[in-house]
Amino acid sequence: MSGSDEVQPPAGNGREPLVSLAGVSKVYEAPRSLPVAALREIDLEVAAGEFVVVTGRSAAGKTTLLNVIAGLSRPTAGAVRIGGTDLWRLPDRRRSRLRNATVGFVFQFPSLLPSLTVLQNVLLPLSLGPAESSAGNEHALALLDMVGLGGVERSHPRRLSAGQQQRVVIARALVNRPRLLLADEPTSNLDEQTEAEIMGLLERIHGETGTTVVLVTHAADLVGRGTRHLVMTDGAVRPAATLGRGCEDTPRGIS
Amino acid sequence: MRLGRLTVLALRTAAGDPVRSWLIAVCAFAIAAFAVSTAILVRGGQESLHLAAARLGADVVVVPRGAATEVDGALLMGTVSRRWMPAADVARVAAVRGVAVASPQIYLESLSHASCCAVSDMFVVAFDPRTDFTVEPWLRRQLGGTLGVQQAVGGSQVTTPVNYNIMLYGYTMWLRGKLEPTGTNLDRSLFITLPTAYAMARASRTTAVKPLVIPKDRVSSVMVKVTPGADPARVAGAISRAVPGVSAVVRPQMFAVERTQIAGLLHVMLVVLAMLLALALVVLVLLLSMAAHERRRELGVLRALGASRGVVVVALLAEALVVACAGGLAGAAVAAFGVSLFHTLIATRLGIPFVYPGGGALTAEIVAGLGLSFLAVGVAAAVPALRVSGEEPALAMRE
Amino acid sequence: MRLMAIAIVALAVVVGVAPQYTHCRTGASMSGGATKAATTGGAMNAPASVSAMASATATAQPMRCYWSARAEIGVAVPLALAGALLALSRRRETRRVLALLGATLGVVAMLVPTVLIGVCPTATAVCRTTMRPMLLAAGGLVVALCVAALVLNELRATDDGVSGTGGDARVAVAVAGPSAPGAAP
Repeated sequence: MSGSDEVQPPAGNGREPLVSLAGVSKVYEAPRSLPVAALREIDLEVAAGEFVVVTGRSAAGKTTLLNVIAGLSRPTAGAVRIGGTDLWRLPDRRRSRLRNATVGFVFQFPSLLPSLTVLQNVLLPLSLGPAESSAGNEHALALLDMVGLGGVERSHPRRLSAGQQQRVVIARALVNRPRLLLADEPTSNLDEQTEAEIMGLLERIHGETGTTVVLVTHAADLVGRGTRHLVMTDGAVRPAATLGRGCEDTPRGIS
Repeated sequence: MRLGRLTVLALRTAAGDPVRSWLIAVCAFAIAAFAVSTAILVRGGQESLHLAAARLGADVVVVPRGAATEVDGALLMGTVSRRWMPAADVARVAAVRGVAVASPQIYLESLSHASCCAVSDMFVVAFDPRTDFTVEPWLRRQLGGTLGVQQAVGGSQVTTPVNYNIMLYGYTMWLRGKLEPTGTNLDRSLFITLPTAYAMARASRTTAVKPLVIPKDRVSSVMVKVTPGADPARVAGAISRAVPGVSAVVRPQMFAVERTQIAGLLHVMLVVLAMLLALALVVLVLLLSMAAHERRRELGVLRALGASRGVVVVALLAEALVVACAGGLAGAAVAAFGVSLFHTLIATRLGIPFVYPGGGALTAEIVAGLGLSFLAVGVAAAVPALRVSGEEPALAMRE
Repeated sequence: MRLMAIAIVALAVVVGVAPQYTHCRTGASMSGGATKAATTGGAMNAPASVSAMASATATAQPMRCYWSARAEIGVAVPLALAGALLALSRRRETRRVLALLGATLGVVAMLVPTVLIGVCPTATAVCRTTMRPMLLAAGGLVVALCVAALVLNELRATDDGVSGTGGDARVAVAVAGPSAPGAAP
């Protein structure tokens, strides 16, 4: 299967897309095995303010898609633009700065640094940025309050539950006020109730701040949370019905 | 990333794996300790020779032919020398062109195998007060004049306090002062004038169990100062040709055996240091590679949060160097204090003269030792840091 | 803490035992003689000459370093006990007292061969080249270890008293989401 329908945001908003992938492919070369095409000639645009949910089976290429968007994985072919800037025309330092300023990432796996406190973890993107200010502390504490973790800033991650750690990760992802929030299966290791709370949090953030969200999940029941639904299959992306309608486009058998 | 936050991150990460951090610190400790000890011992030996030569003050030392090593040993290490040359040679030496001053000295020994709380094997240097330039300048500076009969000046380690009496061969003398340390046997020596030596020899016939015998018309050596502008090596050659039965040694060649010994010590210690460095590097590269590998996912997350390759490299280096700093400082301190406490024992066992280096030289040696340990740890950390930082963050986070 | 305590016990053994083998042997001393004549270095060609020089009352007496070595036994025994108790003790206050005691004994171990009793004045005497530096090093290490143990003891006390936030965070923090104001349904 090659390529995909060019996936564009809903017509009529008239804005330049925040995220633009043009002809993007990613092939992993492994020794003593056949190359694996994780992404196949993807054309995708995400407008500012959208909440895009990407579903698909395991190994469909969802995580690779997010990594390519964030500039964490270099595409084998094609161009990746964030806010109109071609990521891979930038040197590493500038690309890192752009990512720091523009992209917030919520990982699937536990990603807090165990040697730092909760507050230090939340402040990490600010520390890596060009200018650190004393107001950062207040902002980080406000974010922790927002995600419901006021009072634990001096704790270490090992003392928090999985759900609490994921809230801290969300706070960390927002501390630099990013335009784009990428969430890679943020609720895969959580129970139903916590999953609902985390998803509610993401929706609230999208609604209150207008942050563009691209959420990757293999849980079909989360499709309805977003404004647009895309389906990935074998490295290709196609649109599904938006706003949770068009269930016939939802892949079967996905848990 | 700000230096303060980077240091905090480095410290906390190092504390998170104490066993590995201890091993890195031990490697840095060993490198710094050995390097600093080597530098202190070798510098101390060289400085001691320099001070001893400066104490003698001579451009050329004339000794009985074949006795140069013996005389060096007597002056530096207190070994017995019983070689003599005719007193008439003093005038012959003085007559050689280029010689400004020729001053005879006689070397005497007190006793051997003395008991603990006396100065054992005291070495006595008897000099001619009319021509001497070894002790006389110090006497004029410190005491305002020369030594009289029955007066003496001691090296820094003579145990008799200044202005007390000191008795040799039943002959009492007044100890008028002590010279600055040289780290050699000169520090355990007594300096008296030739008239005092002869008076002591006469008195010892009735006051000592075994009389002091100074061979008639004999001297142990002649100290020579050359005229301004004269080449000491040429003057030494002229003396050797003009005066039969003597050897003339210029200052850079003084104490040749001891210089060779110190050079040999340096060579051995450098070889051991090189081996230690190689071993430490292997251990460090292994440890730090393991550490970087285990933290691949964490470093991938840092990159995802906006850290550039350079920041990742600096973070890994900082973690290693923070630990190396602690280990290196401890090693340098242990070496400096250890050599300071045990320097007499070490020097005696090694058979070299030694004086503990002064502040500036010591600081330089400690800085050099620390620098070497930092360099070793830095190089060992850079290898995995560059490799890990160059990896695609997405692949690193796949672990 | 236990490792430090074991190290203190080992150092106590060094402080007590090593000087017994590194002090000078009993030597002859002079009685009477000239005032202000502190030593007679080199006056004798053979030990027998000592009696020729000294007054008739010259006797063989232990040197100062011998007494220093003996005194160090008196320091080493309580130090070893303090170290052993430090390893076994669980009470914070007891450990504090033992660490302070150990540090004090370490200081005394250093003062005995230097200020309190001393060693022979001869630079090359074994008590000066070996015994004294060894005692200074061992005593210094004891002091450093005891100070470290004291600091560690106090830090652990602080951690136990204040760290309620860690384990309780999971319980104490209210889960946000529906209960948070303005939260999405």
